[in-house]
Amino acid sequence: MTDPDHDLTSALASLRPRPPGPAVTAALARELDPPAARRGVILAWSTGLAAAAALVLGLYLGVAPAEAPAPSYQLVRAEQSPANVEVLRPVRLDDGSFARPVRVRWDSTTQWEDPRSRTRFINFRPNETTTLLPLETY
Amino acid sequence: MIDAHADQDWRAWFAEHGARLRLIARQWTRSEADADDVVQEAFVRFWKHQRHLPGNPNALVVTSIRRAALDLLRRTDRRSGREQAVAAEAETMTWFEPEADPRQQALIQSLALLSAEQREVVVLKVWGELTFDQIGEQLQVSPNTAASRWRYAMEALRKHITARAHD
Repeated sequence: MTDPDHDLTSALASLRPRPPGPAVTAALARELDPPAARRGVILAWSTGLAAAAALVLGLYLGVAPAEAPAPSYQLVRAEQSPANVEVLRPVRLDDGSFARPVRVRWDSTTQWEDPRSRTRFINFRPNETTTLLPLETY
Repeated sequence: MIDAHADQDWRAWFAEHGARLRLIARQWTRSEADADDVVQEAFVRFWKHQRHLPGNPNALVVTSIRRAALDLLRRTDRRSGREQAVAAEAETMTWFEPEADPRQQALIQSLALLSAEQREVVVLKVWGELTFDQIGEQLQVSPNTAASRWRYAMEALRKHITARAHD
């Protein structure tokens, strides 16, 4: 037994609707495929951005690393100059006693060196101290 | 966002389905040129915004066609209802490729005798490949109403074809 609706549906489905005009196909092709000009702009931007990114990356990975590692300084010398003792004239203090000021000067120099770059870090420290030596009077 | 149809060649898809989509668009447009415009606009809308959605794209494209057609009707509402009805009756032969088989020619002419409501259900069912539920959603009627229009349409077509066969 055949279904009359099914036969009719099949007959309808056998009809061939007319396709959209060529203008539609052409317009859709333009929409679905980015135009060459726009593609060129995108490509240009991409190239420019890629070049900039490569430059930054190159600076970061190529140039910067040569200077980037922290220098590892090693102590190579520690010096202290002979003290310069300067004895000054005696002075009278508030309590009536006398004292002799003595000023001592010396320098300290410490040197570190980074063996890779042969650079030296020199810490020069001048020192000065003054003290009073009590004087006994008879 | 994941593209559910990343490998889909949409130009090939349109080449395969464009003709039946145009016939659907023709149900809601006043001329062949309008149908072309609607199909183009609807498919571009779908392609730009919905092509990545999962599932069968057919129903989405049909929905897009209906929206584009209604938009166009609102924009260009300049003909009278009578003119539209006359045009709809006169143009059904141009919806299809010419057929040599007289039975197929009779079938095409029979479509013109259906009411617009019945005809759009027939087109959505046969060429839109939609279920009655989907047709109901498209036309904002219940699935039962859509099925009822389909039954009346089939009955009318059968009656017309039988009458012609006896002539």
